[in-house]
Amino acid sequence: MKRLSIVLMTLVATMFAGQSIAGSWSKIRIATEGAYAPWNFTDSSGKLVGFELDLAQDLCKRMNAECEIVAQAWDGIIPALQAGKYDAIMAGMSITDKRKKVITFSRNYAATPARFVVSDKSPMANFKTGVEAMNLNEIDAKEKAAIDDIVMQFKGKTIGVQTSTTHENFLREYLGNDVTIRTYDTQENLDLDLQAGRVDTALASMSYWVPLFDSDKGEGMKMVGPGMTGGPFGHGVGVGIRQKDQDLADMFSTAINGAIADGTVSKLAIKWFGFDASSKQ
Amino acid sequence: MDFTLLVFGDDGWGDEMLRGALMTMVVAVCSYLLGVVIGIFFASLKLSQLVVLRYVADFYTTVIRGIPELLVIYLVFFGGGALLRSVASGLFGYEGYIDLPLFITGVICIGVSAGAYNTEVIRGAVLAVPVGQIEAAKAIGMSTSKRFWRILVPQVSRYALPGLANVWQLTLKETSLISVIGLVEIMRSAQVASGSTKEPFTFYLTAAILYLGLTSISNRGFLRAEAWASKGVRYS
Repeated sequence: MKRLSIVLMTLVATMFAGQSIAGSWSKIRIATEGAYAPWNFTDSSGKLVGFELDLAQDLCKRMNAECEIVAQAWDGIIPALQAGKYDAIMAGMSITDKRKKVITFSRNYAATPARFVVSDKSPMANFKTGVEAMNLNEIDAKEKAAIDDIVMQFKGKTIGVQTSTTHENFLREYLGNDVTIRTYDTQENLDLDLQAGRVDTALASMSYWVPLFDSDKGEGMKMVGPGMTGGPFGHGVGVGIRQKDQDLADMFSTAINGAIADGTVSKLAIKWFGFDASSKQ
Repeated sequence: MDFTLLVFGDDGWGDEMLRGALMTMVVAVCSYLLGVVIGIFFASLKLSQLVVLRYVADFYTTVIRGIPELLVIYLVFFGGGALLRSVASGLFGYEGYIDLPLFITGVICIGVSAGAYNTEVIRGAVLAVPVGQIEAAKAIGMSTSKRFWRILVPQVSRYALPGLANVWQLTLKETSLISVIGLVEIMRSAQVASGSTKEPFTFYLTAAILYLGLTSISNRGFLRAEAWASKGVRYS
C-alpha cells in the first residue's frame, strides 16, 4: 500500500509539475496581466514585456529568488492568488483599502503623480515650486512651502477636474476655500474647456497627460507645478500577496526599498512611461 | 484600425491570433467529444428503469443547464486545484503545490456543460424511435446488441444530429469564456493584443471573423453528416 501510494504520488506530482515552496521563498511565482501597456503587456512575438516585467526581474535578483512569471487574465487575478496558483501579483494594481481587506501588499513601487496643466499662453505657464515631486503622506518644510505656492498661484482661479476622482478629493481638501472647482464627467470634456479657456487649469494623472502630449491632441497645453502623490491620491501601486504570506510581502518591500534607493525603479519608469513614475522613499 | 498589425512573425500578431484559433479548435473538439461521451452516459441513465439513476441524471442536467457557464469555470478553476491538493495531502501526505493544467481545466468545464445539453438531445432522439420497431425486432428474434446496432443507432443518429450540431456551435463559442483562466485561445489572444497595442477594434474584429470561419466550416461538416445519416429516408 505504501509503495503504491509513493508511486501514485510521484505520478501525480510529475504530471502536474508542482513545486514545493514551503516558507523559504527560493521560488516565487508572479502573476501579471500581460495586456496593460506599458505596465505589463505582450510584444508581437508573444513575449511578456513592460515596466513590471523588468522590475520583477530586478527584485527577484535582490531577493535571491528564482521567479516564474505567469500571465493571468485580470478577472479573477485575486481569487487565483488566494487559490494558490501563484504567490504574488504585479499587474499595475493600486493599493486600495478595499483590496487590503482580502490580500496584503508590499510597499508601493510606483505612483503616477498628479500634475496641473495650463494653456502654454497662460501667465502661469512657467509656474514652478521648490520641489519637483512630493509625497503628501509626510509633508516636510519644503513641501509645505510648495503647497503654499500652489495655493497662492491658483487663488481665485477656476480649476477643472474629473468628477469622483482622487484628484477632486485633493482639490477639495487643499484648495477648496481659495479656488472655484469645476467638475467634469469625462477628462476629454475638461480638455476641451481648458483649450477654450473656460477653466484656468486642470488637474489629472501624469499617466493621462504624457500620452496625450505625445499625440497631437495635447497641442497648446503644458504641465506645471510639482508631481504629487500620496495623501488623497492614494497609496500607489504595489505587489499583491496573500495575507498569510506577510514574510513574502516584507521581502518584496525590502527589495523595492533597495531598487528605489539606487535609482533602478526611476530608470525603469523613465524607460517605459517616459517620466518618473517611481514612488519616493 | 490598423490591419498591418496582423502580419505573421515577430513584427505582428497574425501568428498569435492563428495559434489562438488553433487552441480554440482543439479545446472545442476535446470538450465536445467529452460532452458526447457524457451525453450518451447520462442519456442511458435517464432512460433507465431505475428511479435512482434517473434522479442522478436529472440532477446533473438540471444543475449544469441551470447555472451560468462562467460559474462552472470559476468553480473548477479555483476549486479543482484545491480539491486536488487536499486529496494529495489527505491520501498521500504530499504537501507541495499541484494543480490541474489550464487545458484540462478548460476541457472539463466546457465538456461538462456540453454533456448536459447532449444528454437531452440524445434522450429525445432515442424516444423518437417508435416502440413498435423495437417490438417488431424482438418478435423476429433479434438479439439485444443487434437491436441496438441495427434499429436504434442508425435512427438515433439521424434524429440527434441536428441537435448535436447545435450543441457543437454552442461549445465552440463557449470556449471564449475560458479566456478568464488565462488559456490563450482566440479571445485571450485578442485581449492581450488589444491591450498591448491599444488597437482593440482590429483584434476583436479579427476574433469575430475567426469564430465565424470556424463555425461556418464546421457547420458544413455537420450538414454532410446529416445528409449521410438520412440517406435511407425519402422525402416526398
